[in-house]
Amino acid sequence: MIKLYDYLLSGNCFKIRLILSFLNLNYEKIHIEFYPSEEHKSENFLQINPLGQLPVISDDGFILRDAQAILVYLASKYDKGGTWYPVKNTDKIGMISQWLAFGDSLTGSASAARLHDTLFYHHFNIEKCRAMAHSQFRILDEHLFFQEELGNDWICDGVTPTIADIACFPYIALSEEGGISRISYPAIRRWLDRFKRIERFVVMPGVFPAGPGP
Amino acid sequence: MTNVRENNLRKIICMEKNKIYALRKKWFPIASSSDLVKRHVFQAQLLGREFAVWRADDGNVNVWENRCLHRGVRLSIGINQGSELKCQYHGWRYANRTAGCTYIPAHPADAPARTICNNTYPVKEFIGMIWSGEDAIENDFSYKELSKRTVLRPVPINAPNDLVQKNLLNYYSELNFDGLLLNDGSIEINLGGKKKILFFIQPQDSKLSVVRGVLNATLSDEKRYHFLKEQNFIIERFREKMEQISENLNLEPMVAEIEEISNDLGEPPTKEDCGRKAELRLHVSERILTSRDVVSLKLKGIEGQLPTFHPGAHIDLHLQNGLIRQYSLVNGPGETDHYRIGVKLEKDGRGGSQYIHNNVKVGDLLATSAPRNNFPLRRDSLYTIFIAGGIGITPLLSMSKALHSMELDYEFHYFVQSEKDISFKETLKILGERVIIHKGLSQENTINKVRKILQKPGYYKNLYVCGPGPMLEATLKIASDLKWADDTIHFEYFKNDRKINNDSNFEIELARSALTLTVSAGKTILEILRENGVDLPSSCEQGACGTCKVNVIRGDIDHQDVYLNATERANKNIMMTCVSRSLSDRLILDI
Repeated sequence: MIKLYDYLLSGNCFKIRLILSFLNLNYEKIHIEFYPSEEHKSENFLQINPLGQLPVISDDGFILRDAQAILVYLASKYDKGGTWYPVKNTDKIGMISQWLAFGDSLTGSASAARLHDTLFYHHFNIEKCRAMAHSQFRILDEHLFFQEELGNDWICDGVTPTIADIACFPYIALSEEGGISRISYPAIRRWLDRFKRIERFVVMPGVFPAGPGP
Repeated sequence: MTNVRENNLRKIICMEKNKIYALRKKWFPIASSSDLVKRHVFQAQLLGREFAVWRADDGNVNVWENRCLHRGVRLSIGINQGSELKCQYHGWRYANRTAGCTYIPAHPADAPARTICNNTYPVKEFIGMIWSGEDAIENDFSYKELSKRTVLRPVPINAPNDLVQKNLLNYYSELNFDGLLLNDGSIEINLGGKKKILFFIQPQDSKLSVVRGVLNATLSDEKRYHFLKEQNFIIERFREKMEQISENLNLEPMVAEIEEISNDLGEPPTKEDCGRKAELRLHVSERILTSRDVVSLKLKGIEGQLPTFHPGAHIDLHLQNGLIRQYSLVNGPGETDHYRIGVKLEKDGRGGSQYIHNNVKVGDLLATSAPRNNFPLRRDSLYTIFIAGGIGITPLLSMSKALHSMELDYEFHYFVQSEKDISFKETLKILGERVIIHKGLSQENTINKVRKILQKPGYYKNLYVCGPGPMLEATLKIASDLKWADDTIHFEYFKNDRKINNDSNFEIELARSALTLTVSAGKTILEILRENGVDLPSSCEQGACGTCKVNVIRGDIDHQDVYLNATERANKNIMMTCVSRSLSDRLILDI
């Protein structure tokens, strides 16, 4: 049985809830209170993850931390269709890894801005976080525009979404909670709609569902 | 010193304001056509004002104020359902084109007031772009359509509009492309060999502009991709330059003026606006015989938007021969650029349908009322059963189209005499398997069939019936026998076949107007009210439609209508003033 050390408002935990739902896997949630008690910095939790970060999974006792690492692990092990992380397609694996790093980098920008605005992380330099997020969004918007031109709906080439889309989705979908408007990123806004229409998509507070697609 | 500075500042602010007022009258591109993919809501902004821009399934592009009238939430995070836009917060729905509110989930049994309507802005689709302007004037649009074109990737730049405008031409000339600044403010860049890019700068906010370009040629796949990449690269380098220059520019964001919502939005319409008035002029744009004796009329407005309708609504037709007749709208959600009605020829009728069948032609102008809805559709029902008899199909068709577009569960039973009597076949085809047509059943078989259909009343199941009197009465009786709750049965009669007894004499006391009036035999309450200057809305004036309903405070009501159900009658607190009277000497009315 997979156990997920989870916090409802965390975008990184949301990535794992998304892949678990997309792959239709049963799992148990263990609630770790990030705010206000900072349970992720508690003695008990540091024994599970010395970095004091969420999410962490335990798969029959195999413990793994870091949202991107968990995405790779779950998709490689449990995706019967082999589309979310096609291990044998080296070019695509390279591409996915590149965008996994991009998704991870949003934790320091869009996610940090959101923590500043919603969970009282006042020591973050909010202007810097927002500016960094905007420059990252610009890159992704341009990339997605030209992906559409090539007939690709997703961040990486091909007809199906990959874990790169999952890694990038949460903090972009939640960016307005950190005062980062998406009005200048129309290709991103369209991609968000497409992502929300993936079968078995789930929501979290602040992420709204899309209506039925075309 | 301070005074001089303040005065100068005031002058500058004034000049800026005038500049913005002038710009608001201009047309600007606010999106590429390709941005409006199916079932998407695009977020746009022009001169500080935000728009929710969405394309309905019929192709119509809507440019609306980007906020829900309810709690101000942005409609750009709402859901485009193809014919209606649904707010993400409490589910208010707005109709394609008119932006009128069509449904409020918190009040599932009521049709929203027609005055609840979002702001809409002028819109044009041209050279692969969506154009708008807050106060843009229709005839001021001077751009020429390009039959061959490639729209560039729009590039937003954090810099003021005039700066971008001034420098784009220079930037391209540094790259050895000559160009022109045209009178209308657009910039033409000559790429050589007759190829030209036309650039427009969209002033989104004081320090945010979007460079939108279109090439006068259609490029094939690979060429197109490389061309778009190349131009995107050039404009992004230009963006870097512009953003460096304006980095330290401190400009206040533009403020879109939001009109205060008028107080009367929260009030019922004033009495002067009521009565049997024909406020609309519509012309007949299509006339089809949809079955043996049913003619379908498509009615179009002369100018501007038609008032928003809700499923189940009807309009009054004021015919040239003086008759006033009610017809239900058949329109589905989003079909807001016309009204469609179905008129059955009643050979033994009172002359309305005969007049329409014999005299009304394509191109004729008709005087009608605005749509009115006394037969509203609940959209919170888990399962809805429609039973239509003959021409009773019209309001139920409008309702089922609404449920169909929302993918809600329903079944539609249509009782007709023969194949030749099936109206609106095309629409029925769209509704597909949910439509069950019962042809040529005897009275007894019809009753048995209806009993079967209604066998299982249940939680959150609703029934809507419309058809000839005897069929309606039989259906209502069966429903009541099978223990369908009164508030789950919704019905509409075509006409009131009861014999009206108007022999009584009594007094009416108008509690709010502090008036006491006498109603003598032969006169209706409605007539007496109007004779004394108290106006009340009415429509059919024979106790079938429910428009002239009033609340009764005290007195014994002599109900003679066919609108109210048994529970409403038993409650003794509502009546139809056009036919119903009093059994007691006096009625106290809440008017």
